[in-house]
Amino acid sequence: MRFLVLAIALAAATPAQAQFRLDINRLIDSARNVGRATTEFDEKGEIELGRDMAARLLGAAPLAADERLQRYVNQVGRWLASQTERADLPWRFGVLEAPQVNAFAVPGGIVFVTRGLVAGMRSEAELAGVLAHEIAHVLRKHHLAAIQKNAQASLAADALSIALSDRGSLAREKLIAFGTEMYARGLDKSDELEADRLGVVIAARAGYDAYGLPAVLQTLQAMNPEDSALALMFKTHPAPAERLESLEQKMQPTLDAYAAQPSLAERFAAEARVPK
Amino acid sequence: MRSAAALLLLLPLLAGAEPATLIRATDLKKDPATDAASVAPLAEGAKVDATERKGGWTLVKTESGASGWVKMLMLRYAGAGAAKQGDSGAAQLFNVARTGTSGTQVTTGVRGLDAEQLANARPNPGELAKMERFSSNRDAAAQFAASGRLESKTIDYPAP
Repeated sequence: MRFLVLAIALAAATPAQAQFRLDINRLIDSARNVGRATTEFDEKGEIELGRDMAARLLGAAPLAADERLQRYVNQVGRWLASQTERADLPWRFGVLEAPQVNAFAVPGGIVFVTRGLVAGMRSEAELAGVLAHEIAHVLRKHHLAAIQKNAQASLAADALSIALSDRGSLAREKLIAFGTEMYARGLDKSDELEADRLGVVIAARAGYDAYGLPAVLQTLQAMNPEDSALALMFKTHPAPAERLESLEQKMQPTLDAYAAQPSLAERFAAEARVPK
Repeated sequence: MRSAAALLLLLPLLAGAEPATLIRATDLKKDPATDAASVAPLAEGAKVDATERKGGWTLVKTESGASGWVKMLMLRYAGAGAAKQGDSGAAQLFNVARTGTSGTQVTTGVRGLDAEQLANARPNPGELAKMERFSSNRDAAAQFAASGRLESKTIDYPAP
């Protein structure tokens, strides 16, 4: 993009090349028109963006080499997603081979959870609670909106339209790098608390003990906040105690109404092979 | 041994009693239910040892030795085990689990998903393709749910 801008500037500064300048101006005008039409993500664009971002995340940490665990997490996640208004997205779930305790929602329906987080869980309902929280981010397009907002501020409209239309472009690479780094910066606190509330509902809709997510938050709350394995998750999320308080204030009736649903601790222990 | 020790720190509630504090005054209940008989009143800030969870209730033992149930969301954990030890060892657990070696091997330190690695990551399309192979679909997932006796419910989202 920089070279193009430079070329345009040079062309504009050279009176002898008036004809060329006219052509360039027409080109810029048409690029601007295209730009106005394609700087928004439609669903196809959202899915493509998510796949490119997921490939980056997988470059930071690969999938855990446990096919049974990967298939299990996909079953739980797909069942949860089926209870939502975006049931027909190409939902994919993956366990990342990383000791850090964290989970990631990627636009278009890809959800990752780390091995470090799965290792601290005690039941399928707890896994479901975490996956449902991430699914809620996808439903409400929290990351997509943050990427769009920041990309519009930092990339020119022309560059953004190129990033969206040409998956091999430099502008695209910048957009994806930016989107991936967003996982180190985090979303707004209100997005996280909303995903907690919706996550509780989605897990309860799927027939799970609704206390799965609060139970995981309580496990996190009991851990040492100085722990290096928690650093990124704690930096990018409200403190577990605050999230628990918010759920208690706003979700207690829902939590209690669906507390007696199955938590499937035995199936989780068998499929995730968590040592007892 | 090291992996077992790390796991105990990671799973405080499985490992036995975990010290916790009540965030509000509440009744200690005989059973995990709102209409259960009250065993004793508990003050805000009371210290208890928490053990098992059942639905929204946690079984606790008070300092005076009484046992009963309190609402799970009334409890905040001290994180005592982890705090005393510094690092939880989650990273070490991971390394040991992956290499399958005992604690005698020098571990490689925390790697994986920290901010720096996110910033420097290169795309890995091979792993993305692998993920496709493990995916489920609506029908398969419904069957999986039925085998766990999970029944879907109609529940509205909360008002924003």
